[in-house]
Amino acid sequence: MTGRMPSTGPALFSLEQVTIRRGQALLLDQVTCQIPAGTCTAVTGPSGAGKTTLLRLLNRLEEPDAGRVCLDGRALPHLDVLALRRRVALVGQAPVLLTSRVRDELRAGQPALDQDQAAGLLAQVSLPPAMLARGTAGLSGGEAQRLCLARALAAAPQVLLLDEPTSALDASSARAVEQLAASFTAAGGTIVLVSHDTALTRRIAARTLELHAGRLTITGPAPNTIDLREHA
Amino acid sequence: MNPAVPTWAGVAASLALVALAVAVAAQQRLHLAREITIAAARAGAQLAAVGAILLLVFTHGGLAGAAGWLALMVLIAGQVAARRARGLPKALPVATTAVAAATAATIGTLLALGVISPQARVVIPVGGMVVSGAMAAAAVTLTRLREEAAAARPAIEARLCLGMPADRAFAPHLHAALRTALIPSIDATKTVGLISLPGAMTGLILAGVSPPTAIRYQIVVMYMLLAAAALAGLTAARLAGRVLFDDAHRLRPLPTPTGKDHR
Repeated sequence: MTGRMPSTGPALFSLEQVTIRRGQALLLDQVTCQIPAGTCTAVTGPSGAGKTTLLRLLNRLEEPDAGRVCLDGRALPHLDVLALRRRVALVGQAPVLLTSRVRDELRAGQPALDQDQAAGLLAQVSLPPAMLARGTAGLSGGEAQRLCLARALAAAPQVLLLDEPTSALDASSARAVEQLAASFTAAGGTIVLVSHDTALTRRIAARTLELHAGRLTITGPAPNTIDLREHA
Repeated sequence: MNPAVPTWAGVAASLALVALAVAVAAQQRLHLAREITIAAARAGAQLAAVGAILLLVFTHGGLAGAAGWLALMVLIAGQVAARRARGLPKALPVATTAVAAATAATIGTLLALGVISPQARVVIPVGGMVVSGAMAAAAVTLTRLREEAAAARPAIEARLCLGMPADRAFAPHLHAALRTALIPSIDATKTVGLISLPGAMTGLILAGVSPPTAIRYQIVVMYMLLAAAALAGLTAARLAGRVLFDDAHRLRPLPTPTGKDHR
C-alpha cells in the first residue's frame, strides 16, 4: 500500500513520480513523497530497496530518469549543484578518508577551519581534540566513520544525508551520533537517515519512508508514534 | 650504395631468421608457426609499400605531402590509443586530439627553431617518432585515468559531496595517472646510451654517420620524445578529466575490470 500522512513541517524536499533505471532494473519506481524541514526522516527497507539511491538523488549524485526532485519548491537542476552539495551533505556508509592527517581531513570540508573550530567538530562526534594532530592511517573503522561525519559538518550544511551512520560504531559511539542528530535537528537542521537499525530509527526519526524494490510502500510518522503494520 | 645497408639478396637471406623462429615454434609445439609466417610476410609487404609511398612523397609531395602523411599517422595513432582506453567516454576524439596537439606542437617547435630541415624526408621520419611517443603516452594516460576513476569512485564522490567541482575532486587521480604515463619517457631519457643504443642513433651509425654526429640527432630525438609524451599525456588527461564528468559534476558510469558498469 502507499500511505500518505501529513507532514510534520514544511516540505524541504519533494519527490514527484521519481523513477531511476539501471539497465533493466528499476532502482526507484515512481516515488512520490515529501521530506519535511527540521526533522529526521528515516528511509527503511530491505537491502537493494533503493534507499541509498534515494539519498544520492537529494544531492544530485543521481539524476532521475523520470519525475523530479525539488528543494524548497525549486527543481534541483535549477540550483547551483556545488552550492547544493555544501548545503545538503551526504555521508556514505563506508568511511572514505581523503587525506593523511585528521586536521587536513576536516579542512577538506572547510579550508578556512581554525584549530578551535576543528576541535569543536571532533567534539561533536565524540572524538578527542588531541586527535587533530594524528594521521588518518591508524584510525579504527568507527573513528573514521565519525571523522567523515565531522568533515561533512565542517561545511555547516543545512541537511545531513546519513547512510547507515552507526554501522561501524560501538554502542557508545552510536549514542554520540544519536545525540549529534538530535542537536542538529533541534538547531533547525534536517536529517535523512538510511538505517537497518530499527531501534535507532525509532529513537531519532520523526518520520519514516519505507521502500520495497524501489517502490515507496509506507510514508508517515516513525513507528514510535504509530504502528505502521496496522496500515500495511 | 652504402655497404652497411643490406641488398635485396641480403633481405631474402634474412628470411633464414624467420625460418629459425618458425622452427623453434614448431619444435616447442607453440602453434605459432603460421602466425609468425604471416607476421613476417605482413612486415615485408607493409614496409615495401611504405617505402614506395615514401619515395613518392619525398620526390613529389613536398612539405604538404609530409603534413598529410603525419595527419594520417595521427588518425591511426588516435585509434590505437583509444582502443587501449575502451570504456572511457569519447576515447577516440580525446586520444586523437592529444596525439595531434603533441605532434603539432613538437614538430612545429623543431621547424620554427630550425632544428630540423623542412623537407619531407626529415619531417616524416621525425614526425613518426613523435606520433609514436605521443600515442604511447596518450594510451597509458587514458588507460590509467579510466582505471583510477573506476577504482577511486568512492573517494571522488566523497570530494564531490563536499561541494568540490569535478576538476578538484579528480585532481589527485589525474596527477597520479599523468605521472605513470610520463615515467617511461623520463626513464628512457635518463638511461639513453647506458642501457641501449636508441633507434635513430643506431640507424645513423649503420648508415655510416660518425657517432658524434649521430649523437646530436639522438639528443634532439630524446628531447622531442619527452616533450611529445608530456604534451600528449597532459592534453589527454585534461580532456579525459572533462568527459569523465557530466554537467552536474557527477562521475559518469565506467566499466570495471569485470566489464560491468560501476557507479
